[in-house]
Amino acid sequence: MLKSGSNLEKLLRAGHFVVCGEMGPPQAADSASILKKCGYFKGYVDAVNLTDNQTAIVRMSSVMSSYFALQGGVEPIMQMTCRDRNRLAMQSDILGAYAAGIRNILCLTGDYQTFGNHPDARGVFDLDSTQLVQMVKKMRDEKKFLCGDEMKQEPRMFIGAAANPFAEPFEFRVMNLAKKIEAGADFIQTQPVFDIPRFEKWMNAVREEGLEKEVHIIAGVMPVRSVKALLYMKDSVPGMSIADEYINRLEQIKDKEAAMEEGVKIAVEIMTRLKETPGVAGVHIMPVMWESVTPRLVEEAGLLPRPVAAEETEGKEQGTMCDVGCRM
Amino acid sequence: MSKTSEKIAEFIESHPTLNTCALAAENAIKKPVFGCQDCGQCILSYTAFTCPMRCPKEMRNGPCGGTRADGHCEVYPDRYCRWWLIYERAKKLGRVKKLRKLQKPVDRRLEHTSAWLNVFAGRIDPPSWGRE
Repeated sequence: MLKSGSNLEKLLRAGHFVVCGEMGPPQAADSASILKKCGYFKGYVDAVNLTDNQTAIVRMSSVMSSYFALQGGVEPIMQMTCRDRNRLAMQSDILGAYAAGIRNILCLTGDYQTFGNHPDARGVFDLDSTQLVQMVKKMRDEKKFLCGDEMKQEPRMFIGAAANPFAEPFEFRVMNLAKKIEAGADFIQTQPVFDIPRFEKWMNAVREEGLEKEVHIIAGVMPVRSVKALLYMKDSVPGMSIADEYINRLEQIKDKEAAMEEGVKIAVEIMTRLKETPGVAGVHIMPVMWESVTPRLVEEAGLLPRPVAAEETEGKEQGTMCDVGCRM
Repeated sequence: MSKTSEKIAEFIESHPTLNTCALAAENAIKKPVFGCQDCGQCILSYTAFTCPMRCPKEMRNGPCGGTRADGHCEVYPDRYCRWWLIYERAKKLGRVKKLRKLQKPVDRRLEHTSAWLNVFAGRIDPPSWGRE
């Protein structure tokens, strides 16, 4: 039986290689830009992440942005961080999100507040990301709030968590993944891959434990427009690993347009490579402020047309779910 | 724990002076040795005797995604990531498997109370002393 009935869940369960997109909500009280960006994703990806105040910069809430994404005809993956809410606020947002038709959630710790535009803010971190996964699972499977009180209508969410194959302590990262699976993660999205050997080393360790059979692993891909972006990530974003090959390739190109083309080529190469890696269930394309490149990447990586989820008759709430969630 | 330990905890806690002394005794050891943050629900025995509450994000189950290549913290580059330290020490002490336990959310009511008394009173799980 399906846990949430989301398009993402159906496709993963049917064994399709899924494609996720990502968009940052606007730094404004305006839904138009979300609806416009939906055009880049509709028919090209299976679900889209809506970030939750990413890099600790205030944007429209991921709950409301996910709702607008639904209106724009794409299936949202609502990101939720532990930085800005305590356990009460998280649970109430999850209830509202489900009622609004949102069926996927990605549970994250969140970037530290001092990196954002309100460095003077208080970080909440009432739960950690693993505990958040556990809480959503409890709400869904036991119909209970974290405190144990029962609820009438449970939020049937497809639960995601993050993994970083590139950060230290490398060996512990696999155990950390196992903990998130035990806590209740249905799918995993990784940090963007710019270091294939390192990613494959991690996948080997994951396969040794058989974890890829217990959870759907969706690998991150980030297209970049210039060598500057890569160098920034290498020097200033902790926990990232960038292969010198990509830096060298982009460094040699002086023309801006040509560099963008090379950036697309690198992303497509990485996607193709990930598709061939055993145990990888899909890719998660996360272009920062460059959502419009998504259709091209999906097409050039040979991932079109996107599969349509087969309707399952068993289980409850399939019908209501598909009215909102599965439009392609 | 047991009925007796619960009674001991109850007795100490019902006497403010005794209670203060117990907390002071615990702090006198834990603060200088472990940099105790006074969460009142100690899991040091599961985290290679390295306090995870000194992590800026108070991660009790594992590191966030920001540990630097040299094992340092993304927020405070001059410090080690708590979980990098925890893992290194767990390897040395033969306590890696203990890191696998899922740690439940912090009970904020127990902050600034004595974890020892909380164990005695049965409010939190007892420590896991044995090696693997």
